[in-house]
Amino acid sequence: MATVTFDKATRIYPGTDKPAVDALDLAIEDGEFLVLVGPSGCGKSTSLRMLAGLEEVDGGAIRIGDRDVTHMPPKDRDIAMVFQNYALYPHMTVADNMGFALKIAGVSKDEIRRRVGDAAKLLDLTEYLDRKPKALSGGQRQRVAMGRAIVREPQVFLMDEPLSNLDAKLRVSTRTQIASLQRRLGITTVYVTHDQVEAMTMGDRVAVLNAGLLQQVDSPLGLYDKPSNVFVAGFIGSPAMNIATFDVKDGRATLGNADVAIPASIAAKVAEEGSDTVVLGFRPESLTPASSEETGGIPVLVDVVEELGSDAYVYGRPAGPAAEEQADRLRSDQIIARVEPRNAPQKGEKINFTVRQGSEHFFSVKTGERLEP
Amino acid sequence: MTTTQSPPRVSGDGGSPRRGGRRDRMPGVGAGEKAVGLINGGFLLLWGLITALPLLWAILSSFKTNGEFRVDPLGLPSGVQVDNFSRAWSAANIGQYFLNSVIVVSISLTLTMLFGAMGAYVLARYDFPGNRFLYYLFVGGLVLPVFLALVPMFFVVRNLGSLPVVGQFLGLNSYLSLALVYVAFSMPFTVFFLTAFFRTLPTSVAEAGIMDGCSHFSLFWKVMLPMARPGMISLALFNFLGHWNQYVLPLVIMQDGDKRVLAQGLGTLAATTGFRADWTALFAGLVIALLPVLIVYIVFQKQVQAGLTAGVLK
Repeated sequence: MATVTFDKATRIYPGTDKPAVDALDLAIEDGEFLVLVGPSGCGKSTSLRMLAGLEEVDGGAIRIGDRDVTHMPPKDRDIAMVFQNYALYPHMTVADNMGFALKIAGVSKDEIRRRVGDAAKLLDLTEYLDRKPKALSGGQRQRVAMGRAIVREPQVFLMDEPLSNLDAKLRVSTRTQIASLQRRLGITTVYVTHDQVEAMTMGDRVAVLNAGLLQQVDSPLGLYDKPSNVFVAGFIGSPAMNIATFDVKDGRATLGNADVAIPASIAAKVAEEGSDTVVLGFRPESLTPASSEETGGIPVLVDVVEELGSDAYVYGRPAGPAAEEQADRLRSDQIIARVEPRNAPQKGEKINFTVRQGSEHFFSVKTGERLEP
Repeated sequence: MTTTQSPPRVSGDGGSPRRGGRRDRMPGVGAGEKAVGLINGGFLLLWGLITALPLLWAILSSFKTNGEFRVDPLGLPSGVQVDNFSRAWSAANIGQYFLNSVIVVSISLTLTMLFGAMGAYVLARYDFPGNRFLYYLFVGGLVLPVFLALVPMFFVVRNLGSLPVVGQFLGLNSYLSLALVYVAFSMPFTVFFLTAFFRTLPTSVAEAGIMDGCSHFSLFWKVMLPMARPGMISLALFNFLGHWNQYVLPLVIMQDGDKRVLAQGLGTLAATTGFRADWTALFAGLVIALLPVLIVYIVFQKQVQAGLTAGVLK
């Protein structure tokens, strides 16, 4: 078991100027489950592969524990990796697949059999040990890939989107299995995914990357409650946060007919920036339908209502005379609001939503950084 | 071929696609396609007959007596004349030639597959300056006609025999020389084919091997080569047939009577039996030469198909 440290680690692919991973600074605790998340092409897989030793490091350093592994070959790093497509050896049985690394390392046959047996028991694979991978289902293959990593008892687990080839239901159950397995083994784990729900549910901490740059590292709730910039705010949360650029005037943020009160400190900070607009974000659950006599709020024309049983979400577009301007300034195509599931509005209805006080997120128009009231 | 799915049909009564009941027609198969299918089938049948009949004739003839053969060349044999085979085997020296062929082909096939696979693997999966150049150098060999190389090859092989130490194993009339010449001539296609094949193998499996602690060598031997098995088998088969049936190259190199290979032996047999009119012994010799090829085809039929449609685990 060990810590993992990225120290300004940089990767520039040959033939490109822009780094795929740009001076990544990240310290992962011993035994921690850290999730790297971001849109495709953000550098999360590259970061993982740099740690694995499958990708060169062009600048900075990577350390596992106290060892500098920056230019060490993968086999000397004491790590194990689970690949997205599992990368099982098709010509070997499940047992041979799981024991291959030990065999290469020259571990005795009895020891290999014992460790493979233990891992198989842990993963419920005992009856499949003599099968070839092609005779297994997707979920079983995924478990074999996990088992191959577990038998090595490495210092660090690396997982590269290990659930993305499973169907939705299996993905949810495997997700919790992996998380609980990791807690039980207590092995430091770096997990890459593009699925922010996976990131939020599995990780002790989540690191959000975009365009090769680390945006924020925090606990899942920390990211959700205090996104440090507009990108994180838009990326974390499902359905996504509503984000739009509002004009600031007289202690209120307005956009056409939409009108939200803002704290004085935010107004002051916006003025300090020399700007008269602010990026305002509010999550779907922060919106409540207003009674008609209330002033302010955000008028929304309901397009679609998603009823999930426990929740209902309204997908709508800005309504009112200035709707076009509002739509232009909105970061997404629609406004999303969570409503009472047993009392959901109808398609085509017009509703005035108000933002629950204190649940707004403010970001600077100029830098995109979070403004704390 | 799927026959259970039919294209959605629009009919008056609501137009839900009917399943079961009568057998659904295959989509896109009308009268015209049927005719094409018949012509195709007929053509294939004709082709099959053209290929198989002479073969059958040769096999049947090898069981006849010379008298029977002269009177009725196309008729069925009255009994099984095993004597033809023993005459061909011993008198015409086919036994020795067969053994020579086996020795040469086993050396050449092993070396071709070994070097071919190693070369192709490196060219397919390692990036280094000159990779493309080497690859095209190999593939360039494909355009070289064997006949053009015969004379220089003769001198090269003969002179190799006068090298110190290794010369005793090389030179004319040496199994190893002939095998090496076979290797040289089959390398271009082997490398060409296997490079393409190694490229199709998933990179992630190789990476998994690296993570599991493989060195370059163990990665090749324990992971990549077993995965390339379908391609290796079909190519080994292809090379086996080529080497086994080779005539021109041994004609130049194996001049000593005892070292000749089967194809040469049959040539000699054909020439001499022509005078003695021992046709059935010639056919018996032919059948002996044919058997290994036939056996290889029958045994490895599945692998040949697998090699052509080579699939790796997704």
